Amino acid sequence: MTTVAVTGKGGTGKTLVSALLIHFISKKSNKVLAVDADPDSNLADALGVEVEKTLGEIRELFQTSRDEMGTMNKEQWLEGKIYEAICECKGYDLLVMGRPEGEGCYCFANSLLRGVLKKLTRHYEYVVIDSEAGLEHFSRKTIDSADYVLIVTDMSKKGLATAKRIKELTKELKLNFKDIMLIANRIANEAAEQRIKKFADEEGIKLLEILPYDEKVVELDLKGIPIVNLDEKSGVYRRMSKVAEVFLKG
Amino acid sequence: MVLKVSHLGWCLMVERKKIEIPAGAKVKVSVGAEEKFPFDISPMYEGERIRKEDMFVELGGPKQVKFELVLALPAEQVEDMKVTLVGPDLDEMQEGKEYPYAMIYYIAGSKVETDLEPVIERRNHDFQNYIEGYMHLNQRYDVWVRIGKGAIKKGLKSLIQIAKATMMLYKNELPFIEKIEALYITDKALVEKLLKEVAMPIYEERDKRVEMLHDEDVQEFYSCTLCQSFAPTNVCVVSPDRPSLCGAISWFDGRAAAKVDPEGPNRAIPKGEVLDPIGGEYSGVNEFAKQESGGEYERIKLHSFFEFPHTSCGCFEVIGFYMPEVDGIGWVHRGYASPAPNGLTFSTMAGQTGGGKQVAGFLGIGINYFRSKKFIQADGGWYRVVWMPKELKERVSKYIPDDIRDKIATEENAKTLDELKEFLKKVDHPVVKGVVRKVDGKKITEGWPEEKKAEEKVEEKKEVPATPAAAQPAPAMAMPMQPTQMPAFQLPAMPMPAPQAAPAGIKLVIKDAKITIGKIVVKKSKGES
Repeated sequence: MTTVAVTGKGGTGKTLVSALLIHFISKKSNKVLAVDADPDSNLADALGVEVEKTLGEIRELFQTSRDEMGTMNKEQWLEGKIYEAICECKGYDLLVMGRPEGEGCYCFANSLLRGVLKKLTRHYEYVVIDSEAGLEHFSRKTIDSADYVLIVTDMSKKGLATAKRIKELTKELKLNFKDIMLIANRIANEAAEQRIKKFADEEGIKLLEILPYDEKVVELDLKGIPIVNLDEKSGVYRRMSKVAEVFLKG
Repeated sequence: MVLKVSHLGWCLMVERKKIEIPAGAKVKVSVGAEEKFPFDISPMYEGERIRKEDMFVELGGPKQVKFELVLALPAEQVEDMKVTLVGPDLDEMQEGKEYPYAMIYYIAGSKVETDLEPVIERRNHDFQNYIEGYMHLNQRYDVWVRIGKGAIKKGLKSLIQIAKATMMLYKNELPFIEKIEALYITDKALVEKLLKEVAMPIYEERDKRVEMLHDEDVQEFYSCTLCQSFAPTNVCVVSPDRPSLCGAISWFDGRAAAKVDPEGPNRAIPKGEVLDPIGGEYSGVNEFAKQESGGEYERIKLHSFFEFPHTSCGCFEVIGFYMPEVDGIGWVHRGYASPAPNGLTFSTMAGQTGGGKQVAGFLGIGINYFRSKKFIQADGGWYRVVWMPKELKERVSKYIPDDIRDKIATEENAKTLDELKEFLKKVDHPVVKGVVRKVDGKKITEGWPEEKKAEEKVEEKKEVPATPAAAQPAPAMAMPMQPTQMPAFQLPAMPMPAPQAAPAGIKLVIKDAKITIGKIVVKKSKGES
């Protein structure tokens, strides 16, 4: 199993990168799990699929119905609900984590969730996680670990600052990943390219790919068309195909 | 290793018998162990999701009628390693379709009891998931099975092979099962009929057991230390009559978890000797508490509010608070943001009580503890309860005894202590004239005194950390603690958040205190009781 966590500041193109990675990897493998772990983004929209239930909703349902479960086994109850919530898309499965916890104690629910997710994920060849910059699911250990952390940034000051912070956070959380890499998005010119290279150097993050500013991406965004329908000739599409190759090779 | 639950003698038990197969049904029978299976069997297949694209057929699941059931029968009725399949087998099924599914196991053995049926039934999920290319999810009337195309390709031909593999695992893993027989059904009409007539009444019977099973019926309780990261000295003791404070873990959950991971966060606590049947004190629990709290606590009474109460983690759903002014207990849940009649909010009280402390006068509980027949029984149970938010009261209303339900105030009746006093007097709540403990008929409180003795309160006011509750006049309650300079009217409910908050000269050490609620005696301050 290879797990890739895609993260970065919101609006930098993190979901675009996740969706296209899933798109390319699922062409080669039929055991792909996509995880939307960012309540602010919408991976399902980018992939052009619909999701009925989120893990967060199931957890709330568990909290409100657990008193009525009698002698039923709660782990098996939760597991069944999660498997029902997983969206079976063409070529991959999608699990949406949804909203964070409400008030009250989630120790037990999360402890059960961890167990279920661990057993579930180990059967996939690839797990691609679209994660918010705070890496909350990693810190709570609802998601066990990642092999690769892929930080997406544009040239904005905030995007770069977030990239830097994520790197520090991965250290703090002791995520035992194999590699941490950077993807720069919306790089419009040579000067910007130089600047991002310098940033990656200084921060000691491997620069995996530079995605150009792409009118076609903007157009899809405006029309609300799923990004996986991106023109195959577009620069972003071609370069993302190369990125996917890196992980397909392992 | 057999989880023994002492027999409960239900009057409403559903009769266990073999299922009659209707005449003329399409039946396949096979007897004897299988030599070889065309699939791997290993725990590594657990969690394997068979995707729709890779699925040969779906059995049960969201679109079909289904159930699984284990029935304990006398040995002579069970034919070992026999499988009967009623309805179409895999080779008669259409790829990509869903079919009804029932899996029934008859089991026998000298140690097999009806009580074990649900425990054994849950293992069907584990064992079937060991089978490569076979996905089993859920339980009871929700089972959802998928068989992969890959399994068919590798030579899986019949559900009889699945049944035989499962039975083999049952006998290997649970050797107390001496004989096992399976009846699998894919015939819709029969699955529907048996679900309604046989399975549902048995599931209902089991759930009724939750309410009928008591602390005295079991040999072991279970611990929960899941939240020790927040509350290092907290030890949740989960018994049939006392669910965890967070409300999430019942005795049955503890048992299930301890079985899977005996060294995990839920461990078995042998009850040991009964030291106080009313308060719920057991030597095994005390030992465990001492060990797990690092010696911080030596005694815990499961059903006591004042004396060696259970510790409170911080996760609790509801907090109980003693109001000396009315000599009664109020409860407030997490969702109620306004102050309770004692002037404190849930979060203020939770902050003082949480963190795994044993604080007399405050008690964190899970909402389903209100259902318990032993709900703070040492201190009068429901008859000592004087206030709770309307939302909470409605939620647990059916568990409140009829003769006290209307006498418990909500925020609609009283928001302050004065209003509460008025209300309790008006409805003649037991605390006014004295509470009689239902469990043994003992009168445990004296009732409210005539309104006087105001002078002594003034002195006390200086001594006690400022909380609205503490500043109010109290009824005659003697709670002798340490030999300190406390006045006679020492309150058990002083919110003492942390040692450093206690004013000079007062140290509340709960450990050595003799708090006797059984008989309330007013004493002059001359030391120990």
